[in-house]
Amino acid sequence: MGAEVLALAFERPPIDWHAVAPELVLLGFGALLTLIDIAALERGRALMSALASIGLLAAMVPILTLALDGADRAMFGGAYVIDDYALIMKAIFVLAGYVVVLLSVNYVAEGDYWENEYYQMLVSSILGMVLMASARDLVTIFVALELLSIPAYLMATWRKRDLASNEAGLKYYLMGVFASAVLLYGMSLLYGVTGSTMLSDIAGGVAAGAAPPAVVTLGVIFVVVGFGFKVSAFPFHTWAPDTYEGAPTPVTAFLSVASKAAGFVALLSLVFVGFWNRTDVYQPVLWVLAAASMFGGNLMALRQKNLVRLLAYSGVAQAGYMLAPLAVAGTSAAVADRALAAVVTYLAIYAAMNLGAFAVIIAVARRTASAHIDSFRGLFRYGPALAVAMTVFLMALAGIPPLGGWFAKFEIVLALISASTVAGTALGVIVAVNSVIALYYYARIASYMWVEDPPEGADTSPISTPLAVTAALVITGGATLVFGILPQWVGRFTEVSLLAAAG
Amino acid sequence: MTGALAAAAADGDLLVAQNVFFVAIAAVMVFSAFRCVTTRNVVHAALWLVLVLAGAAAQFILLGSEFVAVTQVLVYVGAIVVLFLFGIMLTRASMGDDETASGEKRVMAAVVAVLLGLVTGGALIESFSDTRLVINEPQPTSLVSDAIFSQYIIAFEAVSVLLLAALIGAIVVARKD
Repeated sequence: MGAEVLALAFERPPIDWHAVAPELVLLGFGALLTLIDIAALERGRALMSALASIGLLAAMVPILTLALDGADRAMFGGAYVIDDYALIMKAIFVLAGYVVVLLSVNYVAEGDYWENEYYQMLVSSILGMVLMASARDLVTIFVALELLSIPAYLMATWRKRDLASNEAGLKYYLMGVFASAVLLYGMSLLYGVTGSTMLSDIAGGVAAGAAPPAVVTLGVIFVVVGFGFKVSAFPFHTWAPDTYEGAPTPVTAFLSVASKAAGFVALLSLVFVGFWNRTDVYQPVLWVLAAASMFGGNLMALRQKNLVRLLAYSGVAQAGYMLAPLAVAGTSAAVADRALAAVVTYLAIYAAMNLGAFAVIIAVARRTASAHIDSFRGLFRYGPALAVAMTVFLMALAGIPPLGGWFAKFEIVLALISASTVAGTALGVIVAVNSVIALYYYARIASYMWVEDPPEGADTSPISTPLAVTAALVITGGATLVFGILPQWVGRFTEVSLLAAAG
Repeated sequence: MTGALAAAAADGDLLVAQNVFFVAIAAVMVFSAFRCVTTRNVVHAALWLVLVLAGAAAQFILLGSEFVAVTQVLVYVGAIVVLFLFGIMLTRASMGDDETASGEKRVMAAVVAVLLGLVTGGALIESFSDTRLVINEPQPTSLVSDAIFSQYIIAFEAVSVLLLAALIGAIVVARKD
């Protein structure tokens, strides 16, 4: 009836090809990897890691040209936005992905893995993250979340014959889809209230007085809880230790950095654009999540004997530090800008230092085949460079100047204090207390490496580190030092604002 | 059929009938959902689930969203439940009543379910009980396709990458080597 007329009236929306160029480059290289895999089969193995790294570095080119161009671009009525915030996050994802490829090269080639498909999964997942950085509407956010998660579930179980890896993948998958279901229910409530999937429309629709409060509260809480799983905030962290321990170590590094950052990107867009008018709803929820994550993560990390599990719990605590500024963001526009800049800074520095710590674990585990804390005893005797690097990363994670971590924590506390509310100051004190708790277990590992003797009968000939892992150590170590000594550099890039986009 | 329904809905007489159908379908859905989680036979649980999902499709017809209703039948009833049944048949799950299925967690599960039902139900009733939904005509499917290929084009393309990646990964994980 009337349908034909409507169908003819369709017009293709204008697409800004420059704005989507990073995504297109990743898409192209992902397709290339698949095609070479089909055409060359096993002969293509040697090419895969090289092509994946070239693809990721090539995706940096349009990100840089867009950054130099400087203009904010919005497509589809603001559903897909390229601004400074989106670009800095895309750069973090792509560079973190590049370091993960460096960590994977020897690990995947030497183990019994499906190598070609591994890099296809990795590139697909990074494509999802890059989309997430620009997504400003619920449908795009959800699809990007699934695109980055599903390859990650599969990569966690990539060590097929190892029961621990199977458990890792299955646990991650089940918890992940459960979180997705909660998130979707929250999104459907928000859509039901506001009649729009666009975050900028939702901002007006959920404002106090404009919508029934009960459904808005429920929708916001469900969405925050859904992303709480993704960023492994306490008490939604239960999958993280088992998944981190069982998954192949480069995948763990990827999950702990890139996947967590992707969860934060969506949470930031939602809080600063979508829920902006409902500080009364999201601030208490995030306050509790932040405080619980800091205490829960750090106290459980104290008892860990496996370094990967320890980093999983420390990752829970780090998620708490990053959630903290969001709990006071709504105080004023100035505080909001400061809080956003603090979280983005923290994500960038955290990516460098955490990937570095995993690079050392991978290098040492090549010798000891274990991430148990005892296998790091006396590392300084036979791997002095690795011991120094590990100490740098651990002290950076603890927040000791002049390494990168101190500036990240300083920005967080500054944002919390600048709110000048009781809740903000209390969180600032909690961050400080937890930094001291965390220092204990980071320093304990350092003392194992420097003071104690190697275990009986251990092979103490000097460790040889593959070139790719060395390159990853140089990149992450250099970034950790530069961020700490010249913080104004990273500060210049992370001074971004999302409120302008909200209008 | 929906055209007739819409014409009748326009003069307001059919709203009573719509409400009667809504309540009837909703009652079937609630009962089926309850049996789905309480039955001790996993095959029966899957079949009760069919009734729940078909009920949801019927509700969409009442709302005049024929495309969503058909999609609901094709995807959920057609594909997902069939996958469930295949999964049950291909694994060594017991096909008959499983007496061991009554765990001590039943009580906790019931408490959580009731609480969640009260919270979400209460919130929805408080917020929307006064809202009148007037559907004068069925929504043309072209609205859906226009939205997919304009505002949601990036999400649509991303879904195709997602399906390919999931397919490749699933083959790697599932195949014997």
